[in-house]
Amino acid sequence: MLTIFRDLFRYNREFRIGALLTGFIVAFATLSFVSPYPPQDVWVVPPDLPPSLTYWFGTTSRGQDVFWQLTFAIRNTMLFGFSVAILSRLFSIAIGMWSGYKGGFVDRVLMSINDTFIVIPLFPLLVLFYFVMRDKMSWPLLALAMACLGWSYDARLIRSVAMSLKSREFTQQSVFSGMRTSEIVLQEHLPYVLPIVFYTTMNNMNWSIGLEVTLSVLGFTNIDTPTIGVMIYWANQHTAMVAGIWWWFFFPVLFVVILFIGLFLLAISMNEYIDPRSRLARMGAMRE
Amino acid sequence: MISAAPSFAANAEPAAERVLTVRNLRAYYQTRYFGISREVRAVDGVSLHVDRNEIYGLAGESSCGKTTLIKTIVRAIRPPLTVVGGSVTFNFTGRDRDIYALNRRELENIRWRHLSYILQGSMNVLNPVRRVRHSFVDFAYRHMKKPMPEFLQLIESHLDRVRLESTVLDAYPHELSGGMRQRVTIALASICRPDFIIADEPTTALDVVVQKDVLTMLREVQREIRSSMILVTHDIGVHANVTDRLGIMYAGRLVEEGRTVDVIRNPRHPYTSHLVSSLPRIGDVTQKRGLEGAPPNLANPPLGCRFHPRCPLAMETCRAEHPPMVDVTPGHRVACWVTAPPKQPVAVQ
Repeated sequence: MLTIFRDLFRYNREFRIGALLTGFIVAFATLSFVSPYPPQDVWVVPPDLPPSLTYWFGTTSRGQDVFWQLTFAIRNTMLFGFSVAILSRLFSIAIGMWSGYKGGFVDRVLMSINDTFIVIPLFPLLVLFYFVMRDKMSWPLLALAMACLGWSYDARLIRSVAMSLKSREFTQQSVFSGMRTSEIVLQEHLPYVLPIVFYTTMNNMNWSIGLEVTLSVLGFTNIDTPTIGVMIYWANQHTAMVAGIWWWFFFPVLFVVILFIGLFLLAISMNEYIDPRSRLARMGAMRE
Repeated sequence: MISAAPSFAANAEPAAERVLTVRNLRAYYQTRYFGISREVRAVDGVSLHVDRNEIYGLAGESSCGKTTLIKTIVRAIRPPLTVVGGSVTFNFTGRDRDIYALNRRELENIRWRHLSYILQGSMNVLNPVRRVRHSFVDFAYRHMKKPMPEFLQLIESHLDRVRLESTVLDAYPHELSGGMRQRVTIALASICRPDFIIADEPTTALDVVVQKDVLTMLREVQREIRSSMILVTHDIGVHANVTDRLGIMYAGRLVEEGRTVDVIRNPRHPYTSHLVSSLPRIGDVTQKRGLEGAPPNLANPPLGCRFHPRCPLAMETCRAEHPPMVDVTPGHRVACWVTAPPKQPVAVQ
């Protein structure tokens, strides 16, 4: 596993740039643990100061240091995206593989549920969800809601792979040798599907971060916890754009764009990993 | 090739012990879409038997039901393939058991230990994302009832038998050549020393040199563990070299069966004659002529003898009634109204 990452880093440009960008954001986010100010506190520094040597990214109109505020924001945003991605992977793997392998009636039932989720308009549903929950709205709850909505496309993708695997000779051989369905799916098919799961995880993180920012900017989330969207929300509340406090929204946007590009590049370089033959031919692992 | 062949055929003993008996087996692909039912009679009334320590060959052109017959014999069938009639009886432990009467557990117990199956396209039976070692563990370990270290040791010594180094165990299938993969598959099928091996086109994708290697190996393994075997291939040359008895299939039915030497030297069914005469012989410069037409659609097979639309000898009876299997010489059975007419009138169906 480690050599795969080393080779990917060495021979694949997309992976290298993606890993560097994502790594930079992760490192930045870990700085939040040494922040001198608690994230919720306001009026800890003089307001509205432009970037300087003392305050690298300037200060907000609420008297917060943008630099330290951003470390919390990007950490929470990433954690949110990650938990949505992991939760929705559980759904999409389970449903996709079961549906693809079983076929027939099970497949038809699961896929009609799946297609229902694909056509449901997400954004109005999440706004509605906010108005129903109101004060009870929390980030774990929102993550769960989005995971319940975000699995359907990938479940279809995984199902199609599982269907193709089902008709291969090694599956027939497994059935002949008396392996149970669960064993076939988990031992024989899952390793085949995992690279695709990695790939969709990255994409799903991008999707959920994008949706989180959209919802927060409009104020449809819990606005007490700093995230990228919440930072922009507060900047808008204090008319930062009109007042010329550009650093308040510029740095969050810049960092989330870096994170986006990083994750996107990691996702497309996973293509390289998905096909072991092209991977081995193009990289050093074959030469030993 | 043929004249040099029958070295192995001498093994067949006349009064040997039956291991497999197939009686009047019928297996159809039954589909039903939008209220329209369709039935493809891929195996229609096949009877055959295989003795202990015997290699039985099955030949015939594509889509004549060879693979379906094999799948039905090992009970590796999935809908739409359905067994409509007949029986498949194995005798492994001194007792006749109908394979379709076994429950899941009993079936699991005979598979691999007694009955193993090399699938068609067997180059692909290894999971491309699992190392070869894992394939052995996944497929065969459960049947061995041995502790894991002993099992792994056994794999290595068994691989030695098919002339593979134990390093292949750590390889992924795509890192092996076609011949090596084929040998791994044979090792996989024979590791439990089964009484019965069924090999469906084990050498079809290989070039002739590797083919010879693999067949020799298969035969050696078979001799060593004294198992019976059904070998399916449409290559008559392979049958001449390897099998003891040979059955020729056409359109879902067995049309001729006998000792391989007899069938090839002295074919009685017009289809077999054409099949055998299509083989090139060294020194033979005559133009080879193909047989006109194609095998019939099994969803709607012709009445009577299924070969009659293509048969140069066809006569009136052939179009109306299906010919019965008749012994022309002891052990050599043919189903043809013209070349092997029944001695006395037989009531058909």
